[in-house]
Amino acid sequence: MGALDGLKIADFSWVGAGPRSTKDLADNGATVVKIESARRLDLGRKSPPFAKGESRNPDASAFFAQTNTSKQSVTINLSDPRGVDVARKLVGWADVVVENFGPGFMERIGLSYPELQAIKPDIILASVSVAGKTGPLGGFRGYGNSAAAYSGSADVTGWPGSDPHMPPYAYGDVVAPMMLTVAILSALEQRDRTGQGCHVDVSQIEAMVHVASDLFADPPAEKPANSDPQMAPHGVYRCAGDDQWIAIACEDDGQWQALCAVLDVAPQHGWETAEGRRAAGAAIDAAISEATEMADKTELEAALVAAGVAAGGVLDGRELSAHPALNAAQHFVTIDHPVLGPSKMPAPPYHLSLTPWAVGPAPCLGADNDAVFGRLIGQDDMRRLADEEVLA
Amino acid sequence: MTMLQGTNVVVIADKLADFGGSMLARLGADVVLFSAADDMTRGRAAAWHQGMRESADDTPTLLGWADILLDDRRSAPENPERDALAAQHDRLIHVVVTGWPEGQPQRPVTDLTLMAASGLMTVTGEPDKPPLRLPGEQAYALTGIQAATAALMGLRARRTTGKGQRITLSALQSAALANYREAVMYDWTGRIGTRRGNMLVRGKSGVRQVWPCADGHVTWSMIDNPGMMRAVVRAMEADGGAGELAQVDWDAILVADTDQDVIERWQDLIAAFFARHTRADLGRMSLEAGWGLSPITKLAEVPDSPQMQARGMFHKDAEGRRLPGPLFAVHQPGAVAS
Repeated sequence: MGALDGLKIADFSWVGAGPRSTKDLADNGATVVKIESARRLDLGRKSPPFAKGESRNPDASAFFAQTNTSKQSVTINLSDPRGVDVARKLVGWADVVVENFGPGFMERIGLSYPELQAIKPDIILASVSVAGKTGPLGGFRGYGNSAAAYSGSADVTGWPGSDPHMPPYAYGDVVAPMMLTVAILSALEQRDRTGQGCHVDVSQIEAMVHVASDLFADPPAEKPANSDPQMAPHGVYRCAGDDQWIAIACEDDGQWQALCAVLDVAPQHGWETAEGRRAAGAAIDAAISEATEMADKTELEAALVAAGVAAGGVLDGRELSAHPALNAAQHFVTIDHPVLGPSKMPAPPYHLSLTPWAVGPAPCLGADNDAVFGRLIGQDDMRRLADEEVLA
Repeated sequence: MTMLQGTNVVVIADKLADFGGSMLARLGADVVLFSAADDMTRGRAAAWHQGMRESADDTPTLLGWADILLDDRRSAPENPERDALAAQHDRLIHVVVTGWPEGQPQRPVTDLTLMAASGLMTVTGEPDKPPLRLPGEQAYALTGIQAATAALMGLRARRTTGKGQRITLSALQSAALANYREAVMYDWTGRIGTRRGNMLVRGKSGVRQVWPCADGHVTWSMIDNPGMMRAVVRAMEADGGAGELAQVDWDAILVADTDQDVIERWQDLIAAFFARHTRADLGRMSLEAGWGLSPITKLAEVPDSPQMQARGMFHKDAEGRRLPGPLFAVHQPGAVAS
C-alpha cells in the first residue's frame, strides 16, 4: 500500500504548477482524477518533446507524461452547465480539489470555495497561482518568469554587475508545486484532527521567496553568483573538453589541504584560513583553474571525492539521464505507456519503508471516463452526456 | 498556522533538513532543533531555523516524545546507534536525509556540488562564462521541502497503519527532481541544453526575456500568442512607436518560425517602447491589457512591495532581519479569498 491510499483528489489543474503536486500524491497512492477537456487541451499535452514527433497526438507528449504519472483522466466540458454538474459530483466524492486556473475561473463556473463547501462541508480546496488569490496582484495572469521577476530572484541571478538573468526554465513551476503538496498534506492533518477543511492558497512568488530566505535575512552587497560568504574556494572550474566544468567547495581547512594535494597547487602564505582564501579569491581561482583545465571532469571528481573534498561535475541532460547513482536509486523508473512505450519517468526522491510509492503511467486523454462516470452518474447518463459532448 | 498543532518533531540538522524543520514549525508543529551545523552565518541560521526551539533533553527522551525525527546525515551518513534507538519507537516517523541516495557510496556534498549534479547549472548563465547556480542555497532548500513532505507522507500513512516508519531521502534526488526539462529532452530528442544568456530559444529563433526600461528592467517575451502581441502593439501605436509591427498579422505568423534578423528588428522597436516607460507603468499596462509582462523587482524592494505587504509575508526577527513567514495563505471555512 502507498502512504496516501484511500485519499481522493479531484484535480482540475493543468500545465505544470498544479500537476507536479498531484503527481506527488498519485505516486504515493492517492486516487487522482484529472479533469480535462478535449475542447481545451491541457497545454502540457501540447508541450514537446513528443513520441515519434506526433505533436498533434494529445497522448504523445513526454513532458505531460512525466508530470502526470499515476493519475486517471476524465474529460468534462466545463463551459456547459451540465458538465459542471458532473464536476460537482466529483467534488462530492473527493477529499481535496486542486486547481490552478486563471483568476475568477472557478467562481465563474460555480465552483468557488463556498460552493464547494456547500457540496462537501469538509472539502479542502488547494489553489496555486503566480501571486496567490489575494492582494493587489491577486488578479495577475502570468507566466513562469513572473514569479522570478516579482520575487527578487531574477534581480540577484547572474554575475556581479550584470543585468537580471532569467534561466530557460520556470523555477516557480518547480518550487510552488512542492509547497502545494506540503499545504495539502498539512490541510489533511488539520481536517482529520478538527473535522474542518480549508482553502490553501499557494503563490509561486512566495514559494520562490521562501527558498531564498537566506538572501532576505542577509542581503548580499552584490550578486553572489557561485561564491559563498564563508567557503573558499567555492566555484566552478573548466575541465578538458567542450563546455566541461567541475564544481568545488571547501568547507574547512582540511578539505583545502586535500584539494591542494590532489591538484598539486602550492598554497601561498595567507591561504591557510577561509578568511585568507576569500581575500585571495581571484588568485586561488586562477591556480585551481590552471590545474583543472586539462583534467578529465569525471576522473578529477573521483579523485577529489576520494580525498574528502566536495566536488561534482556540472552535468547536462544526457549525464543526468544516465547518472549511475540516480538510476540505482530508482530516481527514474521505466514505465510502459500506451503511446510512448517504455519510458523513463521521475519518481519521488524518498523511499518509505512501510508504504512505498508506485509510479504508474500518465493517463491518455479521457481514458477513465467509463470507470469514473459509470460509478458517479450511471451508464445511461454517461452515454447521453457523452453523445451530447458534455463529457468531452 | 496551527495545521500541525499537536505534532512533535525533533530535527538533527546539517543543512539538508534545516528548512524542512522550519517548515513544520511554521505549520504549527512543536519542533526541537536538537543540533545544527556550527558554521552557518547568523543570517542563514535565522532564515533556515525559523520557528524551531532548543531543548535540554537528551536524544532518548526526545525520541520518546517525538512523532517525527528529521535525521540529517549530510556529513555522517552512517549512524547505526541512532537507527537502533529510533527503531525502538514504533510510531516514530524517522526521515533519514543523506547527500547521495542511501545504499550508494556516500561523498561530501555542498549546495554547489548538488546543484552542479542537478543539470540546472549547465543551462544557467552566459555561454562564454562558467555555469551558474541560482542564488541562495537552492539544493538545501529543495531537500528541506522534500524532508517536510516525506515526514507528512509518513504522518498520513500512520493514520492508516498505526505505525511509524523509516524513510530515506537524498539531496541528490531532491536537486535533480527540480530539473523537469534537460533529461527528458535528451531522452526524446538527443538535444543537450546549453547556456544562452537571457535568450529564450524556441524553434528557429530566439527571443529576449529581459528588457531595460526607464527605471530598471522588465521581463517579457515575444511568443506565439496573437492576442497578447496585438495588445502590446496597440499600446505602442498609442505611444507613437509601433513601426512595422502595426502591419504584422499575428494570426498568420509564428514567432518560432520567423527569421532571427526580423525578430531582432521587431525587438528593437519594442525595446525603444519599453525604454520610455517605468516598471510601474509597464506593469500597470500589462495587468490591464494582459501582456504577460512583469516588472523585475529588486531583492531589497520585495519585502515592502504591495503584494508582500498585503499577504503579510515578511516580519522582522529580534535582530531586525527581514524573514518570510507564512508558507502559504489559508482561508478558513466561510471565508472567501478576494
